[in-house]
Amino acid sequence: MAEAALATRAPAAAGAALLSVRGLEAWYGESHVLHGISFDVGEGEVVTLLGRNGAGKTTTLKSIIGILQKRRGSIVFEGVETIRMPSRQIARLGIGYVPEERGIFSSLSVEENLFLPPQVRPGGLPVERIFELFPNLRERLSSQGTKLSGGEQQMLSIARILRTGARMLLLDEPTEGLAPVIVEQIGRTIAELKKQGFTIILVEQNFRFASTVADRHYVVEQGRVVDMILNSELDQNVDKLHAYLGV
Amino acid sequence: MKLKSLLVACAIAALSAGAAQAQVSVKIGVLNDRSGLYADISGEGSVIAARMAAEDFKAKEKGINVEIVSADHQNKPDVGSNIARQWYDNEGVDVIMDVPTSSVALAVNQITKDKNKIFINSGAASSDLTGPQCTPNTVHWTYDTVMLANGTGGAMVKAGGDTWFFLTADYAFGHALERDTTAVVVKNGGKVLGSVKTPFPGQDFSSFLLQAQASKAKVIGLANAGGDTINSIKQAGEFGITQAGQKLAGLLVFSSDVKALGLQTAQGLVLTESFYWDLNDQTREFSKRFAARNNGKMPTMVQAGVYAGLLHYLKAVEATKSKDTATIMAKMKEMPTDDPLFGKGTIRVDGRKMHDAYLFEVKKPSESKGEWDLYKLISTIPAEQAFRPLDQGNCPLVKKS
Amino acid sequence: MTTILGVPTAALFGQLLLGLINGSFYAILSLGLAVIFGLLNIINFTHGAQYMMGAFVAWMLLNWAGLGYWWALLIAPIAVGITGVILERNLISQLASNDKIRSLLFVISAILTFLLCYVGIGWSEGTSLAAALLVGAVFGAVWAHVARERISTAEGHVDHLYGLLLTFGLALIIQGLFRNAYGSSGLPYQIPRELTGGQNFGFMFMPNYRGWVVVASLVVCLATWFVIEKTRLGAYLRAATENPTLTQAFGINVPRLVTITYGFGVGLAALAGVLAAPIYSVNPNMGADLIIVVFAVVVIGGMGSILGSIVTGFGLGLIEGLTKVFYPEASSTVIFIIMAIVLLIKPAGLFGRAA
Repeated sequence: MAEAALATRAPAAAGAALLSVRGLEAWYGESHVLHGISFDVGEGEVVTLLGRNGAGKTTTLKSIIGILQKRRGSIVFEGVETIRMPSRQIARLGIGYVPEERGIFSSLSVEENLFLPPQVRPGGLPVERIFELFPNLRERLSSQGTKLSGGEQQMLSIARILRTGARMLLLDEPTEGLAPVIVEQIGRTIAELKKQGFTIILVEQNFRFASTVADRHYVVEQGRVVDMILNSELDQNVDKLHAYLGV
Repeated sequence: MKLKSLLVACAIAALSAGAAQAQVSVKIGVLNDRSGLYADISGEGSVIAARMAAEDFKAKEKGINVEIVSADHQNKPDVGSNIARQWYDNEGVDVIMDVPTSSVALAVNQITKDKNKIFINSGAASSDLTGPQCTPNTVHWTYDTVMLANGTGGAMVKAGGDTWFFLTADYAFGHALERDTTAVVVKNGGKVLGSVKTPFPGQDFSSFLLQAQASKAKVIGLANAGGDTINSIKQAGEFGITQAGQKLAGLLVFSSDVKALGLQTAQGLVLTESFYWDLNDQTREFSKRFAARNNGKMPTMVQAGVYAGLLHYLKAVEATKSKDTATIMAKMKEMPTDDPLFGKGTIRVDGRKMHDAYLFEVKKPSESKGEWDLYKLISTIPAEQAFRPLDQGNCPLVKKS
Repeated sequence: MTTILGVPTAALFGQLLLGLINGSFYAILSLGLAVIFGLLNIINFTHGAQYMMGAFVAWMLLNWAGLGYWWALLIAPIAVGITGVILERNLISQLASNDKIRSLLFVISAILTFLLCYVGIGWSEGTSLAAALLVGAVFGAVWAHVARERISTAEGHVDHLYGLLLTFGLALIIQGLFRNAYGSSGLPYQIPRELTGGQNFGFMFMPNYRGWVVVASLVVCLATWFVIEKTRLGAYLRAATENPTLTQAFGINVPRLVTITYGFGVGLAALAGVLAAPIYSVNPNMGADLIIVVFAVVVIGGMGSILGSIVTGFGLGLIEGLTKVFYPEASSTVIFIIMAIVLLIKPAGLFGRAA
């Protein structure tokens, strides 16, 4: 099978797969959205899911974190099968999730938002370190969460899961609708996180941005992974990618 | 439990050994509150009382088949009316008994007249049942607002409580009770300083009690019932109103209310009833048998009235060997009443059952010798003084005669 | 003497104070409702029955175990809160579940246990009910464990209506059971000895017990407000109220939070019941009479608003108190008139966020 072949092409840099998705199917109510997604992510890798709107990228993240309950197949994280777990248990395994809509709570202050996700493992970033990454947050700790600008909200959304000790981050379109300066800052942050050993799955429409941070790219189409492109081979595959993304 | 009580039918003397003797079958419907406010004063206890009447009368041996059915009117006139019509039209009920809650009683009163059946009321208070709304088909057995006013009201005025302030439940019953008590107070030379109409049912009466306190009246008349009365008395104690010298007149207080208050709170309260279980040997004998069948609860005057009323009806049936309404009603009014609970008495042409009433005072906890030892008797009010004179009730039946 | 609209100012002060006391009950009860509504999105119609249960548990503690008012203040909310937790786990939360067997198993085993204890062994209604709930809870929990693979609770909320109907039905069942067991006229309960008597303020006699009620309810309301607005647990609650799915995705156990919150809201109702026992008639209908007013308070304050329910509770108590002076007949309707006006002008309630 093509998909299996894609998935088993060993991750370029890292060792054994940290996360391994096989034949993932998922539904929103009655509508069948994922038709057998398979891919692997190695420890310390940054991997993007690329694809058109509605291809199933966000759904894949939601299935991994367990928000989407109606799912089938296999998702193994650090050797643990999570396909039947509720999201709170999956999170406790050490997966942090940054939703597309950022999910800042309006009834919580910035500080409360920041400290909301409980520590799931030792070794989360200390608060001081987080403020170094996102200096804006420090000054706005007491404001209402949703009073922040879009960029600040995005930073807060990322910042709060860095605290928890999660080693795998799921980032859903972190650059969407943001000014270029902010996008750059987020890019630097992701690079920094990678350097620190975080494993990241990034959903992106903007593959230029993706190419600056990622090791590999999975192309998702109609609920399936149809291709895998190493970032180092991206230049040779630009035309193919354009065709996939319909740019 | 409404489901359970929707229709609890009980056939008594169904298979009579002396079947050859059986000539008359009567069906009695006990209609009352089985789930709400008045379930304790009437409810299942009234049904037990009716069964005991049939048994004590030895109806079976005398050739009378008595069948007793019961239902819950939920204190709603529409519900009560529907049940009454159903019973009379489809189920062959001859007599409806009990029916507390004046509004329901007045509705059943009218239906009974239209269907030409018999209504022996024990539970309701309004004196209108034997006043403007009297019918040839209704007997009002146990008590009424006039009796309560004459008893408690009269006694309080005579004891020096000549200025009054009313806390009146803001519906028909409360208004009637205030009206009848005011008449008694004024007749005895007292004065009513004011009244406040309290929403029904109420939780907090402290505000109204303070208004009563500010009026400086010697007596605060509670023209309410059940939970309202309990709340008013509890809170009057709490606000030190009784300690400061004003007296409370609980115009309609049942022994079940006193139990709910506890003697500690209710002590010293003066109240009027026409029956108390501990009056004499006969009432004690009946009450102990009754309690054994009613989870240890002593009968209230309403339940006693159901027993005595049915007993008198059965006597009339036995005497006339008939169950024709006019015949029976004539016999019941002609024949003096005599039963172990209310003693000797009569039924007047307006339907009023005449018997003595009693003025009681609630005992102190130290005076009480048992769970049910609640009252001490202050005085007995002769029937003629307890109830409204026949010619003052504006009953159409009286004018005709 | 100075007067306002013919009422002496001193008397007016007295009445305002009384209004504040009634407001205390409204505040505690509507606070419980608001907390539950916020997180569960359920209008807890059982609240009145649970308030009544609080008062009855106080009576039981005194008459069966010899434990007085102060113990009741502690134990009754916990005991009633536990029954609330059992009901939430096995019935209310199951509304959103794809597996109805747990509820069914709970109901059937509870009914059978009740019949066995009540009819079979001859225990009292209260004890039988407690036994029934416990056995039902055990069966429910065992099933939930056995079938944990298959059960999924749908995300998001179920229609209000189902929760409303369920809790309304539960209220009727509870009230019916208590009426059967203890009659309708009620039970005696005295003011604790430490709080009898009162202070004479000149313009009115203030019973110590009423003073205690105001202080106790203020403390409880403020403590609740503090916990919800200022602590980590409160932040979890607010987050779960706003976006349960995402909160869950952070590893926070939202179902447990919901259960605890329901238990807490129910505990508040029971606490109000204990506070009410010495001054109001303790009878099975006591909650049914009061709860309608409390619903109006919640609607005026804004569904789910914590601060709104506290402020409106006390505020409406005051307004009701004033009405009792100037036009007593309207005192039971004034709150509903205000409710109608508020709904017309600000449908989300005075403190509510527009949906």
